[in-house]
Amino acid sequence: MDLTTTVAIDEENSVARVALAGALNTDTAPAFELRLQDVVAAGHELTVLDMKDLDYISSAGLRVIFKAAKQTKSSGRKLAAANRKPHIDKVFEILKALPDMAVFANDQELDDYLDSMQRKARDE
Amino acid sequence: MRNSISTRLIVLLTLALAVILGGGMLLDYRISREEILTRLSEEAAVEVSVAVSDMENWLNGIEATTRLLGRILEQREYSQEGLQQMLRDVVANNDEIFGAAIAVSPEFTDDSEGFSPYYFLDDGTVSYADLANARADYQQQPWFKEPIAAGKAVWTEPYYDAGGGEVNMTTFAVPVYRIDDNGNRFLYAVVTADVTLAALQRVAGQLHLGESSYSLLFSKEGLMMSTRTQASVMEHYSVLSYQDVNLDSWHQMFSRALLGEPSTYRFPCPESAGQCTIRLGRLKTTGWPIGLVYSQEEILSPLHQYEVKILLLGVSTLLLMAITVYLVTSRLTRPLQQLSSATAHMAKGELDVALPQATGKDEVSTLVRSFNSMNRDLKAYINDLETATANKSRLEGELAAAREIQMSMLPGSGEALWQDDDISLWAKVRPAKTVGGDLYTYFLGEKHLFIAVGDVSDKGVAAALFMARAISLIQQLSGTAMPPDKAMAELNNALERDNHSCMFVTLFLGVLEISSGQLRFASAGHTAPSLLRAGKVTTVDQETGPALGLADNQFYPINTLQLLRGDRLAVYTDGIDEAFNDQQEMYGVDRFNQEFQASGELPIAEAGLQLFNSVDTYTGELPQSDDITLLLLQYPKVDEFRETEAFDLGDGLTGRVQSWLGATLEKWSIALETVMEFDLVAEELVTNVQKYSGLEADQLLQMTVIKTANSLVLELRDQGKAFNPFQDGHRSKLGADIESAEIGGLGVHLVTQLTDQQNYRRENECNVLRVEKTIAGQDNDTPA
Repeated sequence: MDLTTTVAIDEENSVARVALAGALNTDTAPAFELRLQDVVAAGHELTVLDMKDLDYISSAGLRVIFKAAKQTKSSGRKLAAANRKPHIDKVFEILKALPDMAVFANDQELDDYLDSMQRKARDE
Repeated sequence: MRNSISTRLIVLLTLALAVILGGGMLLDYRISREEILTRLSEEAAVEVSVAVSDMENWLNGIEATTRLLGRILEQREYSQEGLQQMLRDVVANNDEIFGAAIAVSPEFTDDSEGFSPYYFLDDGTVSYADLANARADYQQQPWFKEPIAAGKAVWTEPYYDAGGGEVNMTTFAVPVYRIDDNGNRFLYAVVTADVTLAALQRVAGQLHLGESSYSLLFSKEGLMMSTRTQASVMEHYSVLSYQDVNLDSWHQMFSRALLGEPSTYRFPCPESAGQCTIRLGRLKTTGWPIGLVYSQEEILSPLHQYEVKILLLGVSTLLLMAITVYLVTSRLTRPLQQLSSATAHMAKGELDVALPQATGKDEVSTLVRSFNSMNRDLKAYINDLETATANKSRLEGELAAAREIQMSMLPGSGEALWQDDDISLWAKVRPAKTVGGDLYTYFLGEKHLFIAVGDVSDKGVAAALFMARAISLIQQLSGTAMPPDKAMAELNNALERDNHSCMFVTLFLGVLEISSGQLRFASAGHTAPSLLRAGKVTTVDQETGPALGLADNQFYPINTLQLLRGDRLAVYTDGIDEAFNDQQEMYGVDRFNQEFQASGELPIAEAGLQLFNSVDTYTGELPQSDDITLLLLQYPKVDEFRETEAFDLGDGLTGRVQSWLGATLEKWSIALETVMEFDLVAEELVTNVQKYSGLEADQLLQMTVIKTANSLVLELRDQGKAFNPFQDGHRSKLGADIESAEIGGLGVHLVTQLTDQQNYRRENECNVLRVEKTIAGQDNDTPA
């Protein structure tokens, strides 16, 4: 199974939205890693991995996400995973990958989060 | 030696001889005793009668002389000188007459005092005395008065002759009558003869029996004239005292004696021990009682001497006999004793012991010679036996070694068990002798199992050697891919070559394709195998070729048997179905099939041993007649599905693995969630192999997925470096801050969390990784 990655940038809010579709596994992880590196390197405040269409993830895929999360955190930014399917969520839980990541169960939570960030920015 | 024959012989013979001899001597003694007693009594009687008759003669002589004198005086007239002369002659010429007198009746004498010349012996000289004097007064004397009164001759009572001989005497007095011219008879004189008691005693003394015996002589009045002691002479018997002889007895005896009736009286001897006897009788001449006192002991002393003599004789004879018996018995049994002691040594195994010399022809010598011969034979026999035993044990040792070698030619050395998931096999051979001609072998190839069961004709060493040749050839062929019919033909040609002894083998040769269960086999005259399927046993139909080794270039048809899961196949030699019981009945194929069916539920090793036991029970005590071989093949029933695929480690490995796995699991109707988890597990494991195994490009990774009733198993095999990811693999620490979190080492966590069992083993230079996940009960239907 292949992986399709779609990146959408919201410059106003400095949010990069990376949608994953298919399988993030040993085969697809290397390409995805390059892609994600580019996105993270762009320096957005928030990088959201939208897993709404992600059917499968293995440790190789999680390794890429961990790496990115490490990078964003070290530069004070955030990486979030949203719309995880149950079995994807299970992998995350097994590997205890959640505490340091913003998690959004669905788009609504993500939108709410983005709104709160915008209000925060306006308030400043 | 108390119970030895010689001792018993001596004792028994001596006893027997003592009894015989004693009996004989006793009999002899009884007879002799009677004879002796009779003789003694006869002798006594003769002696007594001779003595008595002597005395009678002696007294008769006196009487006759006196009577003759009286008769002469009757006839003739003598002057006084003539009478004196005659008297003198009578006394001088008759020793027994002490004195004699002619007392003339006073009427015819001139002298008033009468005329009575008397001559007597005075110290051997004939002396004269005239009794016609006042002092003698012969006319008043009893010897003068008594005959006149009696008118006949009488013996006077004993008296002391005073004025005459001055001795004790008795007188025989005869009256002399004359007849005058007128024919009147008148007394002329009394003629007397005196006998001294001393002379009487001397004559009576001849009457005696034994040393201490003595005679008794009484006058008619009872005065003692002769007895033991001189002092008692002239006493009346009633004043005599004998111990224990009372006066009444004396009176009785005496009166009976006077009447002429002899009598006997016994009393204890007064002066010695034992019984004494008095015998009393009467002299015919004088009517005097005469008697004899004697001791019985003395009378019987010849008998006692005889008794002592015969006792001494008996004892010494017995002693001599005992000694003789002892000597003779010892001499006769000495060889027996020597033989006995020699045989005791022989019994201890000392066969070289010397036996006694045997020269005679008696039983003992024959026995000794027999023993000698037996001893010789025994020695020779033992030697032979030792040699034979040594040979036998050497042969047995060689046979045992041969058996060991032969068994080592068979897998499992005669009893083999192989078990794995795909196939189970058990086989056992039991030769009837130390070595045998049965054989079995098997060889497990990658996909095939090669089995062979054979039976060489005959049994024992020859069969074993031919079997060795056959099994070498079979094992050479087992590794090759040659089909069984061709292999059989090859074997036949190889065995036929130079087979001058015309040995042959029946053989079952089969090749089983493990995955499909297809068994292709060829038979060279071998018993058809039996198949246990679904609890029923049938004998497998087979086409068979000739036995191996008899003729070359034979054709062996190929048989095919499709084994189903759960089938069990038995291949055996005719040692089983042709086993006989004591009724000479064969075990038979049908019985084997029944027993095979009965053992169907047991694991094959136990089932095989039970079949062996069944044959043993059937044959019972009989020795095993032929070699027995049984091979059981189990094609296990599986309630599982399994798929295996091999992958190279090239690009898109995960995708290829997952698409195969997904398709397989989908086929088995596994829940999607489980499928995805297994995808994940497969990827993690495969990735590990890819990273760490160091496999070459052309080396494949083999993956097997197995579905059982309640679990799903994933197994990976690779020939890479030994690597146990659950132990050696890096495992990152979970739950840490993202800053400190390590990138990598996450896969193992996923695998251990998503499966229930993880197992790694190194097998045949392969890493074998097996994980298992329990799944809920699934539909067990065979996939389409």
